[in-house]
Amino acid sequence: MHIFFFLCNLFIREEGGISMSAVKEYRCPNCGAGVGFDPILQHWKCSFCNSEFNKNQLKTASDIKDNLDEPVEDLNLYHCSSCGAELIADDTTSATFCLYCRNHSVIKSRFSGRFKPEKLITFRITKEQAKDIYKKWIKKKIFAPSIFKNKEEIDKITGVYAPYWLFDCITNGYIEGQATRVRTWTSGNYKYTNTKYYRVVRGGNSKYSKVPVDGSNKLDDNIMNLIEPYNYNAITDFSMEYMSGFFAEKYDVEAHEAEMSMRKKVEKFIEDRLRSTVVGYSTFNITQKSINISDCAHKYAMMPVYLINNKYKEKNHIFIINGQTGKIAGETPISLLRQIGFGIGLALIIWLSIGFGGALFV
Amino acid sequence: MLYLYKKLGFLLLSIIFVFLIGSQKLYAYESHNVKDYLNYLTEKEVNNLQRSIDKIKEKHDLELVIVITDDTEGKSSMEFADDYYDYNGYGVGDDHSGLLLLIDMNARVAWISTTGSAIVFFDNSKIDEILDKVTPYLTDGRYYNASKAFVNFVRSDLSYFYRALSMLFSLQSILIAIVISLIVTIILSISSKGKVTVDSRTYEEAGGFKLDVVKDQFIRETTTRVKIETSSSSGGGGGGGTHIGSSGRSHGGGGRSF
Repeated sequence: MHIFFFLCNLFIREEGGISMSAVKEYRCPNCGAGVGFDPILQHWKCSFCNSEFNKNQLKTASDIKDNLDEPVEDLNLYHCSSCGAELIADDTTSATFCLYCRNHSVIKSRFSGRFKPEKLITFRITKEQAKDIYKKWIKKKIFAPSIFKNKEEIDKITGVYAPYWLFDCITNGYIEGQATRVRTWTSGNYKYTNTKYYRVVRGGNSKYSKVPVDGSNKLDDNIMNLIEPYNYNAITDFSMEYMSGFFAEKYDVEAHEAEMSMRKKVEKFIEDRLRSTVVGYSTFNITQKSINISDCAHKYAMMPVYLINNKYKEKNHIFIINGQTGKIAGETPISLLRQIGFGIGLALIIWLSIGFGGALFV
Repeated sequence: MLYLYKKLGFLLLSIIFVFLIGSQKLYAYESHNVKDYLNYLTEKEVNNLQRSIDKIKEKHDLELVIVITDDTEGKSSMEFADDYYDYNGYGVGDDHSGLLLLIDMNARVAWISTTGSAIVFFDNSKIDEILDKVTPYLTDGRYYNASKAFVNFVRSDLSYFYRALSMLFSLQSILIAIVISLIVTIILSISSKGKVTVDSRTYEEAGGFKLDVVKDQFIRETTTRVKIETSSSSGGGGGGGTHIGSSGRSHGGGGRSF
């Protein structure tokens, strides 16, 4: 899937005259400054007066009731409810920051109607922790170009709520194949090999719940698959307050498209599961299989990720960190210079140690 | 009386002096490790060689012997070299380590006999290298140069830095270094995007998997047999073929005619 970083599409224009109520901003009941969600406290914290609030306190404080079941008119022009500057977010940006006053803004229309998420997992990893995870990981990539280790680049790390489809389904699977059991022994001057052939059949069904599928075209599916799984014990109902302090995206992959990806995943799950029950054989090759997936149900959810985007030789390289578990994935390009340097250095070390070390023993 | 004493004293001193010179001369000719029965080497040359050989013996526990003769008592060069070494009590340590270079002028053969740890140390390829250095001088009749080449080769081959250098510039060590570094670099270059931490059970509901059909049906069996090849091991390596001399001690070595 095409990776494109949405931050580039975010800019601001002055003036305009569109309703301010389309943008939601959570303010501190004490001092009126913007309030963001804190991953360590799992509460909201005012960055100005350091007051902490839970969800209910924040709900009571914000005067307008948010009814997200009714679609709110979607526009591309929004005003920061704090300073009045105009926010122009791209088509899928749902929560952002005002570039003028740094206040958190949540675009209500992007969370309303069919875009209203049902579930959410909150951030557990702070931005600083995410930076450390990335630094530790990139340090091990000895061939990574130095730009990937730049402090300025690492500082651009961004916490984003990524749109996910969570599927529940029932899967029926059937596999059939040939298995062999091989036994060898020696007798006299001969080595004997006895091979027994079996027809092996396995059939079963399994219930899967909350199989996640990335709902954003901007995020590479292959990398998103690698930061799984999320711990579903911490899943809660969606509420817009959680978005405050982070960026958020809305889905641009429809549920029925996502279902295709889910089916592929689940087909592999059941096949592997059935295969794991074939034990006690030397080999097993599947010759026939049939898999039937039914009773699919999906939920729209917001999952936390941290993103780092680096440009190297005109190509974007994205790194994604699971905002709950801290698992990192991403593709690092290889710097030919570093590779050659390493290769020559290692060859020299080996060569010298063979010479001087070997001379001790010969 | 006093005068007589003086005269006697002088005489005594002279005798001692002459005796000393004589004994020195005797020592030179009676060199322990250089046995030149044909007088091809000068006294000075014998002394030089003996000094080098003594140093090697002290430093590396290896005794070198050089024999130049035209009378091998009817034995082959190999037999004569081995027996000469054994029956004259050469060698260092329990395994009598050492090398003997026999210049057999009768058969015109240069034979190098190795004993003890020298058998492993100076294997066939090393012996060939030594002979490469030695035989051209013998062909030219330069016996001292040949002996010197033999001693020098053994000495430099035993020195650590020389061995290190010769190992460094051997094709094998260069190839090994290149191959290993290539493999390591390639392995490290296959940079994984990340480990897959999802398996077929991750999203399975607890107790949600039910196995309905389990069939394991035997169809047929085959049995094949293969004759085991008993590999005949070709006589032990290390030193490349040793033989046992008449004294019952084993020797390695090799020779070449000049």
